[in-house]
Amino acid sequence: MEQLIIFLFLLALGYTAGTIAEKSHYRSIEQRERDLLRLPAITMKQIPYSGDQIQSATIVHGSVVISVDYFKRLLAKLRNIFGGTVKSYESLADRARREAILRMKEMAGSATIIVNVRIETATIGKNAHRKGVGCMEAVAYGTAVVVKKN
Amino acid sequence: MKYTPRQPDTNVNVTPTSPLKDFFVLSGGLLVITVAVYFLLGFAVDLIIPHISPETEKKMSVIFGNLAEKETAFPEKHRKLQALLDTIQQNCAKLPYDFKIHIKKADTINALAMPGGHIIVFTGLLDKVTSENELAYILGHEIGHYANRDHLRGLGRALVFMTISVALFGTDSSIGNMVGHGLNISEMSFSRRQEAKADEFGLEMLNCTYGHVGGATDFFSRISKEKDPSIFGHYFSSHPENQERIKHINLLIKNRNFKKEKLKAMF
Repeated sequence: MEQLIIFLFLLALGYTAGTIAEKSHYRSIEQRERDLLRLPAITMKQIPYSGDQIQSATIVHGSVVISVDYFKRLLAKLRNIFGGTVKSYESLADRARREAILRMKEMAGSATIIVNVRIETATIGKNAHRKGVGCMEAVAYGTAVVVKKN
Repeated sequence: MKYTPRQPDTNVNVTPTSPLKDFFVLSGGLLVITVAVYFLLGFAVDLIIPHISPETEKKMSVIFGNLAEKETAFPEKHRKLQALLDTIQQNCAKLPYDFKIHIKKADTINALAMPGGHIIVFTGLLDKVTSENELAYILGHEIGHYANRDHLRGLGRALVFMTISVALFGTDSSIGNMVGHGLNISEMSFSRRQEAKADEFGLEMLNCTYGHVGGATDFFSRISKEKDPSIFGHYFSSHPENQERIKHINLLIKNRNFKKEKLKAMF
């Protein structure tokens, strides 16, 4: 009986805390995306600048690890039985990717453009190699190019 | 090429959803399906039980461990109890089992019928019995559970539940463990109907062994006057169900015109 009460408590805690965390994270993400809009991050390998125009080119990367809450994990477990899209993890992946890109842009600082951007995700934590997700890590990396102003 | 920075209008990567609604729909659906499967498998168990031979049952009972202990604690009582059981079995019951008595020292006023033909009698019960007839009735009641294959029903339902739990949650899950704890397989409690049928069987064994049914309800009526309810097994009569049992037994006696004569003293 105590186990059931603990379970329900964790569920409620996970739901409320998780929802609050997610909403505030999305607010922060959208705010920073607006601010960093002027810095393009593209997946193209070729850049429209010739060699003598380039001042510097450095690798930049942003990474973030986001955990999923108890409620979302249970929802995913139920979904695993019946099949279909696991909507509860969608926001997790989305936030991780966007946050990683933003951190990469922040590392780039006053670069002109970031090229050859790639994103990789991985699951880490206790449940990584079994069913279920512990934490999700996203890494975004690219080459930050500073173009000479003439 | 001119670069125009632009935020996308909507987030295409996240489906707008109500997680609480999802949760209730999924878990509600799962609960309904589990309950339906449980009942269906319960019926299936009832259909299969008559086809399981006592040999198979004996093999299944191995999972309860080796119950055959050295009977050195109460050799005299054990010999007489085993002899009484053998008399009932050979003359009257004639069931395809090899019944063995095990006496365990405890204050519990109870006797247990374990799968495979092992009957455990606690010393608490032996101390309270005053006539051989009462004891014969109790033994008859216990072997009545074997005649009706009642253990297999209990085993079957528990097995079904455990199988469902493992299929849904895996072998290493906190929810699965919760379900497992909820089912105490070793407790093996029988339903009221199963107990009533075993009572009928016990009565018939009593009548067959002694020619009369004196002493059938003596045990129940006597211990209803006892004070301490905690030491009772499924014989404790402070429970209103046991009053029903006494009534039911007396009704059977009346309907079948069984007689009551002098009782044989307890050994």
